[in-house]
Amino acid sequence: MTASTVPLVAMRDIALSFGGVRAVERASIELYAGEVLALVGHNGAGKSTLIKILSGAVQRDGGTIAVRGAAATIANPRDAKNYGIETIYQTLALADNLDTAANLFLGRELRTGLGTLDDAAMEAKAREVMGRLNPHFRRFKDPVRALSGGERQSVAIARAILFDAQILIMDEPTAALGPQETAQVAELVRKLKVEGIGIVLISHDIADVFDLADRICVMKNGRVVGTARAGDVTKDDVLGMIILGNCPPGASAGPGAMHQTPIKGPKAR
Amino acid sequence: MLGRLLKSTELDTRMLGMAGALALIWLAFHLLSGGLFLTPRNLWNLSVQSSAVAIMAAGMTLVIVARNIDLSIGSMLGFIGMIMGVLQTDLLPKLLGFEHPATWIVTLAAGLVLGIVLGGFQGFLIAYLGIPAFIVTLGGLLVWRGGAWWVTSGQTVAPLDDRFRLMGGGPEGAIGAAWSWALGLLACVAVVAMLARHRARRKKFSFPLRPMAAEILVGAVACALILGAVAVADAYPWPIGSVRRYVEANHIALADGALPFIAHGIAIPVLIAIVVGVKMTFLATRTRFGRYVYAIGGNPEAAELAGVNTRWTIVKTFMLMGLLTALGAAVSIARLNAATNSEGTLAELLVIAAAVIGGTSLSGGAGTVAGAMLGAVLMQSLQSGMVLLGVDTPLQNIVVGIVLVGAVWLDTVYRRRASS
Amino acid sequence: MKKLATACLAGAALSLALLASADAKGKIIGVSWSNFQEERWKTDEAAIKAELAASGDKYISADAQSSAQKQLTDIESLIAQGANALIVLPQDASAIAPAVGKAVDEGIAVIGYDRLIENPSAFYITFDNKEVGRLQARAVVAVKPAGRYAFIKGSSADPNADFLFAGQMEVLKGALDAGTVKNVGEAYTDGWLPANAQKNMEQMLTKNNNQIDAVVASNDGTAGGAIAALAAQGLAGAVAVSGQDGDHAALNRIALGTQTVSVWKDARALGKTAADIAMQLADGRKMGDIAGAMKFSGGPKHVEMNSMFLIPIAITKDNLGIVIDAGWIKKDEVCRGIKPGAVKVCG
Repeated sequence: MTASTVPLVAMRDIALSFGGVRAVERASIELYAGEVLALVGHNGAGKSTLIKILSGAVQRDGGTIAVRGAAATIANPRDAKNYGIETIYQTLALADNLDTAANLFLGRELRTGLGTLDDAAMEAKAREVMGRLNPHFRRFKDPVRALSGGERQSVAIARAILFDAQILIMDEPTAALGPQETAQVAELVRKLKVEGIGIVLISHDIADVFDLADRICVMKNGRVVGTARAGDVTKDDVLGMIILGNCPPGASAGPGAMHQTPIKGPKAR
Repeated sequence: MLGRLLKSTELDTRMLGMAGALALIWLAFHLLSGGLFLTPRNLWNLSVQSSAVAIMAAGMTLVIVARNIDLSIGSMLGFIGMIMGVLQTDLLPKLLGFEHPATWIVTLAAGLVLGIVLGGFQGFLIAYLGIPAFIVTLGGLLVWRGGAWWVTSGQTVAPLDDRFRLMGGGPEGAIGAAWSWALGLLACVAVVAMLARHRARRKKFSFPLRPMAAEILVGAVACALILGAVAVADAYPWPIGSVRRYVEANHIALADGALPFIAHGIAIPVLIAIVVGVKMTFLATRTRFGRYVYAIGGNPEAAELAGVNTRWTIVKTFMLMGLLTALGAAVSIARLNAATNSEGTLAELLVIAAAVIGGTSLSGGAGTVAGAMLGAVLMQSLQSGMVLLGVDTPLQNIVVGIVLVGAVWLDTVYRRRASS
Repeated sequence: MKKLATACLAGAALSLALLASADAKGKIIGVSWSNFQEERWKTDEAAIKAELAASGDKYISADAQSSAQKQLTDIESLIAQGANALIVLPQDASAIAPAVGKAVDEGIAVIGYDRLIENPSAFYITFDNKEVGRLQARAVVAVKPAGRYAFIKGSSADPNADFLFAGQMEVLKGALDAGTVKNVGEAYTDGWLPANAQKNMEQMLTKNNNQIDAVVASNDGTAGGAIAALAAQGLAGAVAVSGQDGDHAALNRIALGTQTVSVWKDARALGKTAADIAMQLADGRKMGDIAGAMKFSGGPKHVEMNSMFLIPIAITKDNLGIVIDAGWIKKDEVCRGIKPGAVKVCG
């Protein structure tokens, strides 16, 4: 694949402080087309902040972002969306008072020839997309406030994939879901991967991570401890990275690694 | 059966409840006043008395829906009113000559632009500098009221330009029977066309449709209301004195000495309010801007993350509010035939109360323009009705205060039940 | 009306007489303003200054900028500057007491200007507010001696509104009892707002099916609202309407014929008379000996004081010349929109 030589997204030396606290420091990650990069770490490790910088929700203090090798300017969520970066936030970020179609198309409404909202067209598209994601979904006229946790989550996911995302960021996408729906999301992730979409997945569930991710990036205290191919490290290795900041031999160490072990190349263990 | 038909119309039950409450109030006043309330004259007066507050309530709805508030509009009304007063009686006559036909339009345009600028400025402070709307507009309340005094050092400006005054109603400030019928019929056709178009679009995407009976019911009721209102406005004749003056001025020969019946028709300020209501409803429900306003009210962070330019949207709500305040100022001063520096005192509270009684939630995200305007009519009905009954101001205020709190309480109960 | 004009002239003559008797030279009169930002007081100041200059006395002043605290130090400073008499427009009538007490102790006369300072050693000069109500009613009765009267009262929160109404009722009581005048509606006007007066008037007209002959409105703003409501029924000019303040718009309405009367308090007369009295007191004249002074004990604490109440003037179409001659309003403002020959003063 030629696409894998040039990363879809390359974030280099990203830094951000909130009132003197360094939320993210010299963080670098790369995401390639058709892969799932899992971003793991404790609460407050900086992973949510890092992806919010990518999605335009917050502004970085330093570092660079390149999309497909070209420097990208991401000053707000609109910019990010123009680069094909879509995000499913942990909070879902839905306007609870609006219905499903209005939420799906928020900021990118379909309009009639007269420039007015084309609610019928949006509802039609919403029915089509929701039908694929969640065949039991019926409540198109209700505000999303009235929906169940799982239904709301599927609305948030549907919104992210509705507009031909190239880069998909998923922040705890299965947090509100039951086992069956979680399996559906896993299915969706695999499908999107095949379509060549690059996915950044934030999850607390190590089993999930190993199930879905091609590569795993561990953060601690705002810094990247290390990045490894999923096959090169064990769950215990990853836990060690998360808790202690140890970088195992199977991973390439980042600036956040406590005890740097010389890199011995892949399959060293 | 009837209940099911009513439900199948998919009309807002809240709105229906309010219309019902209004009907009850009207009926009660009619009985208590010995048949004075539900007369063409009183209803026509009521429509004119409500128009300025209704115009501004339409803007306030969007401001509140987007989780803001505007306390400055009463003072801004006074300030813009004074500016428009001085423009048409002093500055423009010096430039154009006394009673020049362009005076009113230049004055109005200047007032509207000023409203947009003042509103936009407050919106900028709120959206881009992050100062709470409550504070910015509380400051505005003081600043613009002071400004209103400053324009003429407190002197009342009167009388106003004859053409400008038409915006305030009165016998000449109404469009007459023929035009009223024409507009009423046009509105009916528009309603039917809208219903048909809506149905056609839903059919095209094969969505569930309302039963035909419900469509017909909605159309028929809407048309009946529109034409009924026109009939009421046309049943209110010009007062004898005005007719006599008109007859003399136009040298009309009277065959039998009896004065002709000249109907008022719909008052111009009411027409302005209706146009504002339709436009604002369109803006709120059919445009991106309106969608964004409601999205910001529901979840500002979500709107921002979805790529909505929330700040600019907020500024636009305040610009609109300023524009409608200027329009309210034009109607108010035209109606009074004078610009006074106290004009609009406490109007902000009436307008906010109208919006809230009309179902606008102060926590944002919910409210309709039509509801707010209906709220304005409801409040004015209470006040006008009580004057007819000889209830004096202090007691009127007590009643209106209780109704405001009661209405919001009922609304809270309704919402809680609706969401559970 | 003529009688009132004569009364006014008599007042002017009286003050001329007072001026002649004042032999003060080089005395210092201190004036403490509560808030000079209000345009209103500039007229008063000009009158005071002119009166003092005419007799060679010195004018010194201080502006408390709406602070009762600052006014206390202002008065002390005026005393320190050697004022022989003080004219005080109090910001807060009770908070001012210590400063007034200090002046009195030093033998300096104090005049409470337009607002009451309830101290037996102070003089009180103002317009007779109850008389305003009487003048309004009298002027309306002069035009419509019998008929159906509506009353547009002032704000229910303002005690003056009730004073005015009491004065109006005093004049109309006989006619009301006799049944020649009928009260067909009365309403307070919230906040004295013209727009509220207009709505109330509209409802009264509806209620009475336009059968209203006179409207006793308490000031020019509410009169304007009532007249707008009358105009919508083609009744402006046919119904007698009273007012107060000599608002420029109201004086124009009087010329146009839509308003009957505006009771006007000439601020210059108030300033001039206060200056005269101050000069007399500075010369050592006793308060009780001042011509026209009378005992007054109508304040909240019922303290008996020396006082003078100036009679306001009822301005009607017949004596519009007074306000023009007084420089209160320009002739073309009064006569805006008047056809030549329609009104005497407009020519």
